Amino acid sequence: MTVSVPETAAKPQKGFKLDFKTAGPLIALILLVILGYSLNPAFLNEGNITNLLTRSAFIGIIAVGATFVITAGGIDLSVGSMAAFIAGMMIIIMNSAVSSMGASVWTVLLGVGCSLILGIGAGYINGFLTTKAKIEAFIVTLGTMGIYRSLVTYFADGGTLSLNSGAREIYRPVYYDSFLRVPYPVWVFILVAVIGWILMNRTAFGRYCMAIGSNEQVARYSAIKVDRVRTWTYILQGLCVSLATIIYVPRLGSASSATGVLWELEAIAAVIIGGTMLKGGYGRIGGTVIGALILTAIGNILNLTDIISNYLNGAVQGVIIVAAVYLQRGSFKRAVRKKAE
Amino acid sequence: MSIKTLTMALVATTALAVPALAQEKIKIGVSIPAATHGWTGGLNYHAQEAEKRLESTYSNIDIILVTADSPADQAGDIEDLVSVQQIDALVVLPFESDPLVEPVRQAKAAGAFITVVDRGLPDASIQDVYVAGNNTELGATSAEYFKTRLGEGDNIVILRGIPTVIDTERFDAFMAGIEGSGINVLDNQFANWNRDDGFEVMQDFLSRFPDIDGVWAQDDDIAMGVVEAVRQAGREGEMFIVGGAGMKDVIKGIMDGDELIPVDVLYPPAMIATAMDVTVANFLSNGPVAGSYILGAPLVTKDNAAQFYFPDSPF
Amino acid sequence: MSDAVSTSVPAILSANRISKSFGDIPVLFSIDFDIRPGEVHAIIGENGAGKSTLIKILSGIEQPTSGSITYDGKTVVLPPNGQAAAMGIVVIHQELLLAEHLSVADSIFLGRELRSGPFLQLKEMREKTREILAALDVNIDPDARINTLSVADKQMVEIAKAISRDARVIIMDEPTAVLSVAETKTFFEQIRRLTAKGVAVIFISHKLDEIMELADRVTVLRDGQLIATVGTENLTPDSIAQMMVGRELSNLYPPKHEPDVDAEVLLSVRGLSAPGISDISFDLRRGEILGFAGLIGSGRTAVAEAVVGLTRKTAGTVTVRGAPADYTHVAQSLDAGLAYMTKDRKGRGLLLNAGLQPNLTLLTLKKHMKYGFLDGRSEEQALDRAVRRFDVRARDPSVAVGKLSGGNQQKLMLGKTMESDPDIVIMDEPTRGIDVGTKQQIYHIIAALAAEGKAIIVISSEMQEVIGLSHRVVVMRQGRMAGVLEGAEISEAEIMRYAAGIKQGGENDRLSA
Repeated sequence: MTVSVPETAAKPQKGFKLDFKTAGPLIALILLVILGYSLNPAFLNEGNITNLLTRSAFIGIIAVGATFVITAGGIDLSVGSMAAFIAGMMIIIMNSAVSSMGASVWTVLLGVGCSLILGIGAGYINGFLTTKAKIEAFIVTLGTMGIYRSLVTYFADGGTLSLNSGAREIYRPVYYDSFLRVPYPVWVFILVAVIGWILMNRTAFGRYCMAIGSNEQVARYSAIKVDRVRTWTYILQGLCVSLATIIYVPRLGSASSATGVLWELEAIAAVIIGGTMLKGGYGRIGGTVIGALILTAIGNILNLTDIISNYLNGAVQGVIIVAAVYLQRGSFKRAVRKKAE
Repeated sequence: MSIKTLTMALVATTALAVPALAQEKIKIGVSIPAATHGWTGGLNYHAQEAEKRLESTYSNIDIILVTADSPADQAGDIEDLVSVQQIDALVVLPFESDPLVEPVRQAKAAGAFITVVDRGLPDASIQDVYVAGNNTELGATSAEYFKTRLGEGDNIVILRGIPTVIDTERFDAFMAGIEGSGINVLDNQFANWNRDDGFEVMQDFLSRFPDIDGVWAQDDDIAMGVVEAVRQAGREGEMFIVGGAGMKDVIKGIMDGDELIPVDVLYPPAMIATAMDVTVANFLSNGPVAGSYILGAPLVTKDNAAQFYFPDSPF
Repeated sequence: MSDAVSTSVPAILSANRISKSFGDIPVLFSIDFDIRPGEVHAIIGENGAGKSTLIKILSGIEQPTSGSITYDGKTVVLPPNGQAAAMGIVVIHQELLLAEHLSVADSIFLGRELRSGPFLQLKEMREKTREILAALDVNIDPDARINTLSVADKQMVEIAKAISRDARVIIMDEPTAVLSVAETKTFFEQIRRLTAKGVAVIFISHKLDEIMELADRVTVLRDGQLIATVGTENLTPDSIAQMMVGRELSNLYPPKHEPDVDAEVLLSVRGLSAPGISDISFDLRRGEILGFAGLIGSGRTAVAEAVVGLTRKTAGTVTVRGAPADYTHVAQSLDAGLAYMTKDRKGRGLLLNAGLQPNLTLLTLKKHMKYGFLDGRSEEQALDRAVRRFDVRARDPSVAVGKLSGGNQQKLMLGKTMESDPDIVIMDEPTRGIDVGTKQQIYHIIAALAAEGKAIIVISSEMQEVIGLSHRVVVMRQGRMAGVLEGAEISEAEIMRYAAGIKQGGENDRLSA
């Protein structure tokens, strides 16, 4: 079937095709925004948009990390518990720092530093167990998920760990203040997304992730250090969880066993809605960002209207998630068909 | 981390091993949900405190405390308490009432004295004693307070818990209580007894409604999230918030005269301790104990807050 | 050849003036084709000539744009999705489509299990399987798992499956591509047994000698056109090849340039043992092509994988340019200028879902970095270069590599391997399953690389290829070196003697001729 057309031509087509693939989730988001606005014009108020973006930052940042893990053919179920655990440890560490040397900017920086170390460490453990101990990622992270969740419960004695009020006041602006009218969490989100995009599309690491997820054997025969790259995806995921936690803690100044429940599923959903393949081999950071926005917007719209019974919120979310993915897959197929005609 | 986990495991094994030595003791099994949110955290704390207190006071009482993650888990726990531990009495706070009817009935058939806490079983003949907080009264007490602060044409929003019987009882009683007062409920949404959800739902209420005079958050965890959202919007002066349960941070705030959360309605996790006391009394006092003990849902204000303040409790 | 089939017997399956286009691109132009019961009819043509499309139409997987299909005397529209199998038209694909973890009996009855009520009749299915396998005169355990079978046995299972469906027409896409000489022989006997029972066999192959041996008639396609349908008795391999490519194929193999006697030894292996092989010793000099011959499973690939560090060696030494080469990872061998091109281009060589460019540069991404970032332009230039140098033909460079023809995939993989600019190249089955025109191209590329001063190992199951290319030949047998041949000794008969274990030894004194 390869009618031999020489190597010329076809370069512009590449850009066009890429556009089309991104369009699916974007269309879903635009439809959702129109729906939100028509149900309640307050949806597009600056305040609400700011809330929505800030809120999506947690899931979004974690989902950027998850994009790498999933692209490389892995999965990380532990992120929600990991976030709760890191948040809890940050609060314990900052509280004890306050009691020994008083509250200052250094207290907060100490907490942030510990968060980064814990995140990277937790990611490394997941990576090590999947690559070196050769246990399926699903099982490893299911295990660490339970471990982190019960550790938080244990450290909080089943209750809530609350940040010392002195440290809280110093830390609080990290969540609530803005730069150029954009809240800091959103800046962090933007930064993580941009770096993630570059890493995925403009570095060897991203290419290796796609190769490994697409066919591990091919990657191995192509001189790629499969285990090392895989482990790095989990470390990156841990780092993203840590960053999300750093902007989460100042919001409520507390952590409990209820913190971050189901974040792992939301993050994975955001990744898939965005067009990354669950079985690996193909990752899209831009889509993930849109996926996170879609998920947050659904909850936001449901809160802004009362035309749907409260009891059906979960059903509405489910329908929109499935529809968004259908739109993305459907449009992709249509593009192929168009090409064939 | 690992050392701490190990210690936990050791403590757990020792706790289980010791009672096996003394045979003639009265064994009381206590089955409650695991500490998955603030209120159950408090429940676990009070159960453990009561266990320590009762065992040190009465040398012939042996209490076995087990926590469950799901109704099925709890059913298994109760079967084990009956068959392995051969308990003389069972204190149970059911995850859900219906699925636990049969396991509890079997414990009863094996001769155990049954105390049911908080969530009553549909077949009341199984339980010897019923100790409960009063969800209906929690709603009603809250409604009474709202009526004292607000009147005709004032707007409130309601943040509810998880769709369950407890939530419905509270909500229905509240709505009945404010009926005819002219207080206008703008909307109600579920916040799952969770701080983060409380924060997000309240953020959305704040962008949706320009005029809110009061928030009934129904639970202190939700209320904590609501407070942050209101502070973020800078609308603290405009409204007040009422939660429920009696979380120590909230009680402390009331003692200190917080304007934003001026009162709380009690739904104390300490009820498990009451139930355990009552059960022990059945064995150690002269006459048998039976009947229902419905705890009140009193309004906690600045004046009486100190007596509900447990600084050591995690909740 | 079964001369029994006379032209008077009516065709069981025929295609009448079939045309097919995908979108705007015509692939087949008005093809006539027919097959009679008991006949072996070969379809032959270069990559992209339209062979695969024709068999897809003959089996109902694709519908023709115009033209009709006649089956058993009636004009029919064949049902899609392989349902034609129920009508007696069965396709055996090049990549055997067997579920690796099922047993042989399960595989044969997959999709139409014998049942009583909701329960499987396991015993009956096993018995039936045993009967069918016995009729084929093959010795395979009905309970064996598919993934424990050799490729040849898997093929037999596919054939058994076809027979169990009472197939009247069996279509085979390059069935011998993965078979060794001995296995091919048994396979041909099976085919003859089938045709004797009146089964019609359509057969795609690139191996002209096999076609001469097996087929009654040959249909030659070129660029979607029917060139001719000729009885095999009127053909020679040369005339078939000429019809295929439309040009004179005078020299399939380029002339050999002997390496200098004092050329530097680039790779030296002594007493190498690893999983599946033991005590392997040979030298490879600059400009030399060393052939590795032997039956499938004789350990040739295992030698290559142990040398480049894909598997761990258990004993022996490997030196590259005099330096010890104890590689634990392919990246190390690559850095030392030693590259291995796998025989499994779909499973190990190429990312089938990705485009040409990511595949080409995957091995050597480090070369395309600028300040730590990938340099897209540099990658594009590499692709342009490789496309020109290795004549990779694709409609659009962003098309998924899995959609390219086997020959173009192979050339792309060769380009990928050569991107690392190695001094030593190990090519495992470099022309498996590709047409004769592309083969010729690849042979010339290999010879040119050797002439440039690369040292090359060619592992091949095609004896002609090993003989035509190599300066020296190592013959492997059961994980050991059976012999080393050079110069005039290199002949089919001699290689066969060593490979089959009739002749042995004498390797140690001529490690480096």
